[in-house]
Amino acid sequence: MGNLGQREKRLLISPAVILLLFFTLFPFVFTLALVFGKVSFIGGKIAIQFAGVSNWVRLLHDQRFWNAVLVTLKIVGIAVTAEYCIGLVLALLLYKKPFGCGFFRVLYVVPMLLTPIAVGYTWRMIFDVGRGPITGILQRVGVNPIGWLVDPNIALYSIIITDVWQWTPFMFLLLYAGLEAIPKDYLEAADVDGATAWRKFVYVIMPLLAPPSIAALLLRSVECFKIVDIIYIMTGGGPGQATESLTLFGYNVGFRAFDLAYGATIAFSLFFMVLIAAMFFTMLTRSLRAIRLE
Amino acid sequence: MKRVLSLAAGYTVLIVWAFIVVAPLFWLITTSFKDKLDVYLGPKFIPWIDFIPTSRWWIRIFTVEKNSLLKPYANSLIIGLTSAFLSTFLGLMAAYALSRFRFRFGFMKNEDILFWIVSQRIMPPIIVVFAIFIMYQTLGLLDTHVGLIFIYTVFNLPLAVWILSNFLGQIPPSIEEAALVDGASPATILFRIVIPMLLPSLTATFLLCFVFSWNEFLFALILTYSRAQTMPILIASQHFQRGPQWWDISALATLAVLPPVAITIGLQRYFIRGLILVGK
Repeated sequence: MGNLGQREKRLLISPAVILLLFFTLFPFVFTLALVFGKVSFIGGKIAIQFAGVSNWVRLLHDQRFWNAVLVTLKIVGIAVTAEYCIGLVLALLLYKKPFGCGFFRVLYVVPMLLTPIAVGYTWRMIFDVGRGPITGILQRVGVNPIGWLVDPNIALYSIIITDVWQWTPFMFLLLYAGLEAIPKDYLEAADVDGATAWRKFVYVIMPLLAPPSIAALLLRSVECFKIVDIIYIMTGGGPGQATESLTLFGYNVGFRAFDLAYGATIAFSLFFMVLIAAMFFTMLTRSLRAIRLE
Repeated sequence: MKRVLSLAAGYTVLIVWAFIVVAPLFWLITTSFKDKLDVYLGPKFIPWIDFIPTSRWWIRIFTVEKNSLLKPYANSLIIGLTSAFLSTFLGLMAAYALSRFRFRFGFMKNEDILFWIVSQRIMPPIIVVFAIFIMYQTLGLLDTHVGLIFIYTVFNLPLAVWILSNFLGQIPPSIEEAALVDGASPATILFRIVIPMLLPSLTATFLLCFVFSWNEFLFALILTYSRAQTMPILIASQHFQRGPQWWDISALATLAVLPPVAITIGLQRYFIRGLILVGK
């Protein structure tokens, strides 16, 4: 395919590259200017003045920021772990193609494709103390109502439950694909050697499932760090600031209080966290590969 | 005996999770058919036993409130379909170029370019949205269809390039080379050979991009306020305006989840294949 001219080759790839540069790299640089600046509106025009590290100093002394960091980390840590475990169990149960496998597989995928705002709204109804189904059922059994969304100690877990409901399918799907890729003769060889199901799981399946597991955990955590929509509709970040994630905090500061520079600074701190998480998982993959090569 | 027991345990888990998946959707759909009192007087579960279903709210959405409620639906469809088409098309161009020709931009080779494109997906939207807000304000793109179409196209582009370059990697270039020897032009090769072979993958990519645009919330929240409002924004704003009027919003939310559910179930083979590739 060598006779295609340089111009035609470039023509094929340039729309994508130019669009990406324009909509991600350029805004990224602009945000970089915002985080070291002060924004003022003079006669409808936006002016950015250099303000040094003042935004960052403010950020590090901001209780609300550290709260948002903690909230985000808790959601990512607990939700992603739970999603991985449930997804793994479901994938293990289904990959041997039991009766009804096709039905379960399609059904299990459905939640991750639903509009998060609609999902959040549904769970908002379900967790409602006065009229919701959970309280109704618990009361019939004689359990006192739980303030799922109004108790500051519990609201975060209600958000996590919703996230787990919606995103377990993602883990399930990737792990299912990973299991299908395991050569059947490995498992047969283990059977011939008389391995128990547990030993087969620990010594054959898990090592082979490690790379897809890391990929799934990486992709899911990176997405989970950005969580905002279900929180926005379920609690709005409340009660108080008990469920305010970093993205929601950045939005509230930037577009409700209209402090663009400080909002951008908050957003930037999220970028660092995502970057660290991505690097952590990449390093994990590398060291895993190194172990295998030895 | 032990086998039967483990089989039973396995099915119990599968059925319990199936119930967990279905129950919230059941609640959402039944609530849209409930009368006011059936919502206010505590939880009612089973239609025709606990409560008598009514289609009043559904009729209202399609008649009295048609203009204010169905316009965002149309917006979501227009924006979702257009941007999904654009990201699939531009993604195909880029993926095709990267898998068939050799590039060099400075120190960047093909794999570096591909990695750069795909890694854009990692960037949290909240970082770029401040700059894009100011940019759109200057360009007059705030609250326009074009503005949202652009941003969704760009944010689905990495995904499209990733999936399509994976699929393209599975097709041997020898077929295209043979066509070239026979004197076919590059355009002919693309439209008569590559696209027909890739059709299932293109469908999967298109559907994924559509669903992601359809579901997107943060950009729509910040970049639109009335004319170009999409479905998620409508649901959120109705929720804050109407408070506990669950019936209306449940109907809207049911409408919102309808396209993704229909796509998953109707075209599951293409779709799940596309989804699996996202993780590779």
